[in-house]
Amino acid sequence: MTTFTRVHGAVREYEVFARKARADALSLVGSVVAPDDDLAAAYARATYDEERWIEMVIVPKESLITLWAPGSE
Amino acid sequence: MSSELAGLVLALADNKQLLGLRYAEWATRSPSLEADIAAAAMGLDDLGHSRVLYGCLEPLGADPRGPERENDPESYRNLAYFDRPWESWQQFVAANAVLDTAFSVVLQSLVEGPDEVLRTRLRKMLQEERYHFLHGRSWLRQGVEQAWLERAWREALGFLGPPDDGLAALAPQLAGRLEMEVPALEIDWSGWDPVRRRFEPGGIDPATFDMMRGLEERRFTPA
Repeated sequence: MTTFTRVHGAVREYEVFARKARADALSLVGSVVAPDDDLAAAYARATYDEERWIEMVIVPKESLITLWAPGSE
Repeated sequence: MSSELAGLVLALADNKQLLGLRYAEWATRSPSLEADIAAAAMGLDDLGHSRVLYGCLEPLGADPRGPERENDPESYRNLAYFDRPWESWQQFVAANAVLDTAFSVVLQSLVEGPDEVLRTRLRKMLQEERYHFLHGRSWLRQGVEQAWLERAWREALGFLGPPDDGLAALAPQLAGRLEMEVPALEIDWSGWDPVRRRFEPGGIDPATFDMMRGLEERRFTPA
């Protein structure tokens, strides 16, 4: 079985986090695939504009450090 | 307000209206899903910016628009680059990087200028344009056909005007944003239209012009 992936040598996946109010914590709202940080920022802003976010940040998915996850020991 | 400044605001409004429409035409044709969405979002932004700019003309006391805009596509002050739908993604990228940024450089000069209406109303556009710029510059870094890049630069320099025009001094700022030098293009200013700020005659293609005037929409309205 082949698994389709949009991520390859020229692009990487970024996770997008945002919050609507100062009292809120940043929450994961989605992801984008882009070749660099600038384009990822432009894509995130265009794709996840459904709310009046007061803050939005992006981070390369590969920078996330997983402590545990479903299926792990 | 001087009629010259009103003419510049109208030229910006017309160009942003056409730029927005041309962006939107690529909302399902770009190389990636994200770029599709960005094209749609930038299109909406620029259509919104054009409405704000048109709305500045009346409070500024000098609206150069006449009845000829109802039937003469050449009465619009858009650049020739926007006359017809774009043929390639490369053409999109050159417009996104060079022309959209050229308009932003001019907008910024108006926001920093003496006119209070423009200083107040145009500021938010610059925040939205930051993402158009990041999009355009990033795609530009990935490479674009020299012919489209040169054409976009030629039209951007035409929009800024001849060397004795005050806006021409903004060309190095435009180049700096794009991390390049102002291209050494041979430009013949003898055929330059100072009202439309462009070199070539001609105007918006008939289908787009009909759509802008609501004629396409009326075709589907019950009699």
